[in-house]
Amino acid sequence: MTGKAISFNSSRGGTGKTIMAVNLAALFANEGRNVILIELDFRAPSIFHIFKEAVKETPTYWVNDYLNSRCKPGDFLIDVHNIFNTKGKLSLGCANPSIYAIEDMVRKSRLWEANALKKLFNLKDFSFSNLGADICIYDTSPGIQYSSLNAIISSDLIVFVSSSDSIELEGVGSILKEFDDVFRNKTFIVLNKVFPETDCWSNDKDKEYARQISKDFKVPVIGLIPCYCDILKANRNQLLTFTKPNHPFVMKLEEISQKIVSGW
Amino acid sequence: MIDELKLFNRKIESIIKLNKEILSKQKEILQLLNKNKELEYQSSSNVKDTMALLSLPASLRKTMLALYKIGEATAEDLSRETKRQRALESDFANQLERMGYLKKKRVGRNVHFYIENPLGGLED
Repeated sequence: MTGKAISFNSSRGGTGKTIMAVNLAALFANEGRNVILIELDFRAPSIFHIFKEAVKETPTYWVNDYLNSRCKPGDFLIDVHNIFNTKGKLSLGCANPSIYAIEDMVRKSRLWEANALKKLFNLKDFSFSNLGADICIYDTSPGIQYSSLNAIISSDLIVFVSSSDSIELEGVGSILKEFDDVFRNKTFIVLNKVFPETDCWSNDKDKEYARQISKDFKVPVIGLIPCYCDILKANRNQLLTFTKPNHPFVMKLEEISQKIVSGW
Repeated sequence: MIDELKLFNRKIESIIKLNKEILSKQKEILQLLNKNKELEYQSSSNVKDTMALLSLPASLRKTMLALYKIGEATAEDLSRETKRQRALESDFANQLERMGYLKKKRVGRNVHFYIENPLGGLED
């Protein structure tokens, strides 16, 4: 098993972790890596909506079905690399966006969640050993919830996405501090939606700001992304890696992807 | 006309009968579901879930995470994964077994540690 599982987490919602996870998955696939993007945000699923125009059909199975033991590990994956002409394979595992599925996932017991953790490890092993995946990307729920903790525990690398808002950063800090040994040597921070007018963008202060955050949290900051109004205004289903590959946001993600790979 | 009405009545009666059967089956299913939930609730007070895993001391958690990664493992396998001494891993794994986090079995001359499926049943 040589692949890596990367989970994208945040202390609060709306930090941009899904857009980042989706576009990084696309970037890695464009580079020729075999990528599996798995949605573990069962309370606010969005991956299916992001890809539905391109995929055009409803999946037979969802990630929920695998965790509920209704299908085998590979059954819920949708191969989209032919649609986007990526060099490597790009497969999606979507969380079921129906209200009934969300309700079902909210009511899960601790026993079920314990089983889900074991199934996530099995899925990871299956993805690397049987499906030839190089990278599994988990898009998780914000904050401390079973699905996000299960993703963190079963991942090889953890990326915390946060804005520069102090409450959000404090949230990240308290999670990192609480489970220090779980995160040590495998966690990165990406600061997203940093306002261009703040001081940190002038006179190269952004690097200094990132260094300060790294020092405070004892975790490397591998990216500082400005708040791009056009991204905020655009529909969330925009796959910028494919539609606007030269957008500065995508360029920033390319830098981040290189830092992630060099950190392996 | 009367014959038609009689036929219609018979059909209605058979629909009512079928509905009653469906209702009684639904009741049975509900009872089974409630019983399952009760059993799950009773056993969940001692569930070794992610929260329980995170509340373990870091030394024991490392062994658990290694076992999740490898699947079934001997103390030797665990020590290769954690890069700690075999004897230490054996101690930790046995301690975790006593705490109910994992199971062990003898395979030939070796002791194998493994994590049982929390909900029972077969692996994927």
